[in-house]
Amino acid sequence: MNLRTKILVGFSLIFTATLTNAAVVDDLLKEYTSLGASKFSAANGEQMWKKDFPDTEEPGKVRNCSTCHGKDLRASGKHAKTGKVIDAIAPSANKDRLTDPKFIEKWFLRNCKWVVNRECTAQEKGDFLVFLRDK
Amino acid sequence: MNNKSATSIVVWDLPTRVFHWLLVISFSTAWITSENDMFLYAHVYAGYLFFSLLMFRLLWGIVGSRYAQFRSFAHNWNSVTDYLKGLLNGTAERHVGHNPAGGWAIFAMLVLGLLTALSGFVVFGGEEGHGPLKYLVGFNIGNEAKDFHEVFAMGMLLMVFLHLGGVIVESVFHKENLVLAMLTGHKEGQSDSSGVKAYRQLGVILLLVAFGSAVYYFRGYVIESPDQPFKPFSSPALTDDPTWRKECGDCHLAFHPSLLPTRSWLLMMQQQDKHFGDDLALDPDVASHITKFLVDNAAEHGITEPSQKISRSIPADQILLRITESPYWKNKHSDEHIDPAYWKSKKIGSKANCAACHLDADTGWFEDSGMRLPKL
Repeated sequence: MNLRTKILVGFSLIFTATLTNAAVVDDLLKEYTSLGASKFSAANGEQMWKKDFPDTEEPGKVRNCSTCHGKDLRASGKHAKTGKVIDAIAPSANKDRLTDPKFIEKWFLRNCKWVVNRECTAQEKGDFLVFLRDK
Repeated sequence: MNNKSATSIVVWDLPTRVFHWLLVISFSTAWITSENDMFLYAHVYAGYLFFSLLMFRLLWGIVGSRYAQFRSFAHNWNSVTDYLKGLLNGTAERHVGHNPAGGWAIFAMLVLGLLTALSGFVVFGGEEGHGPLKYLVGFNIGNEAKDFHEVFAMGMLLMVFLHLGGVIVESVFHKENLVLAMLTGHKEGQSDSSGVKAYRQLGVILLLVAFGSAVYYFRGYVIESPDQPFKPFSSPALTDDPTWRKECGDCHLAFHPSLLPTRSWLLMMQQQDKHFGDDLALDPDVASHITKFLVDNAAEHGITEPSQKISRSIPADQILLRITESPYWKNKHSDEHIDPAYWKSKKIGSKANCAACHLDADTGWFEDSGMRLPKL
């Protein structure tokens, strides 16, 4: 493989990855729209990311997304209970992010229940994905 | 001295002296390293060296030089009592080689030493799944043999002290430094003809082999790096499953199924919507796949030491969901074994963070010598 082919292949790989990434999010957004959501807003998504919710186990404490993911989306976080390292959530820092709809839904369910103490709505999930995909 | 024209002769050839001092080093090392499971790798080396030395000594007792030969100190019991009485009334005769009491002590130490080493192999094969007997000895026998191993070693230590006492008494009584004699090999003898060949080359070879084997055995600690610490005892991989590793390993160390009994895994998977405060929301097919893997490889089928010891420690009517609640785990991590400061350290964070100290936690083996406490 000469240099030019290598560059070509490299670019097409990145391109395909970006496409799949975009397609996964777009498909989910379509699904959320069909469930009644509309006009997804990155600003609302960011607000959701930063919002504090009361800790259901320890009164007086709060939980939010960064409890486990860390304040910096592009840096790795740490599981609040077990200390296990969680790879960066931003797709620009971690190419595996936003590539698997099942994975996304599974973690929305788990994390919304843990942080917000209920499942997130289609609107909230869509807002968050719109916010996250450009990070 | 019973002869005025006494001259210095070689009594202890070099191989015998090398044997003696290496035996001292290996037994002391084994004794000290038995204090903590963490030192098992070194303890096992000391045991192998100890056993090899005894094997050599058995051979050397037959083909070695005069005073090293068993027949030169295989005195009958009457001569032992005569000798001991002689010490009391001041008539005990001086022996160039071992005196009768000393000779018996040597035989006792050889026998106790062999019993200690052999019972050690049984424990090592049965409990740890390593060593020459790993395929021959089951966990139960290995576990039982541990008491024997300890009793034999204590007997050996007792004989060592008797031997030391004897050396001091005889040194004083006959006014000669027996410790020095075991270093130089020389004692006062009647004439040149009663001395023995020193077998220097063989002695040097023995030393080199012992040194070389130690370097080879411990080389992993020399060439390790902070990213890739040396993991002693390469163990065969336990049964693995990618789905289990992925799903369970997302939030915490993928605790190997062999660390809890079947009933624990079944209950845990039944309650997967309330998994320590989290709803796992696993797909039914994923959940049943993981359940099958957990049950098929649960502690009852485990071949590792922790699998056997954890499950045996849990009363049959209890279903524990946390490994850290099992009596075996609690005992091994009690304040007596682990400084409580470690649990408060941010480096460790949680009792579920096995990998903070157990280098091989992800393999499920939890080797004794795979433990390293991080610096706080």
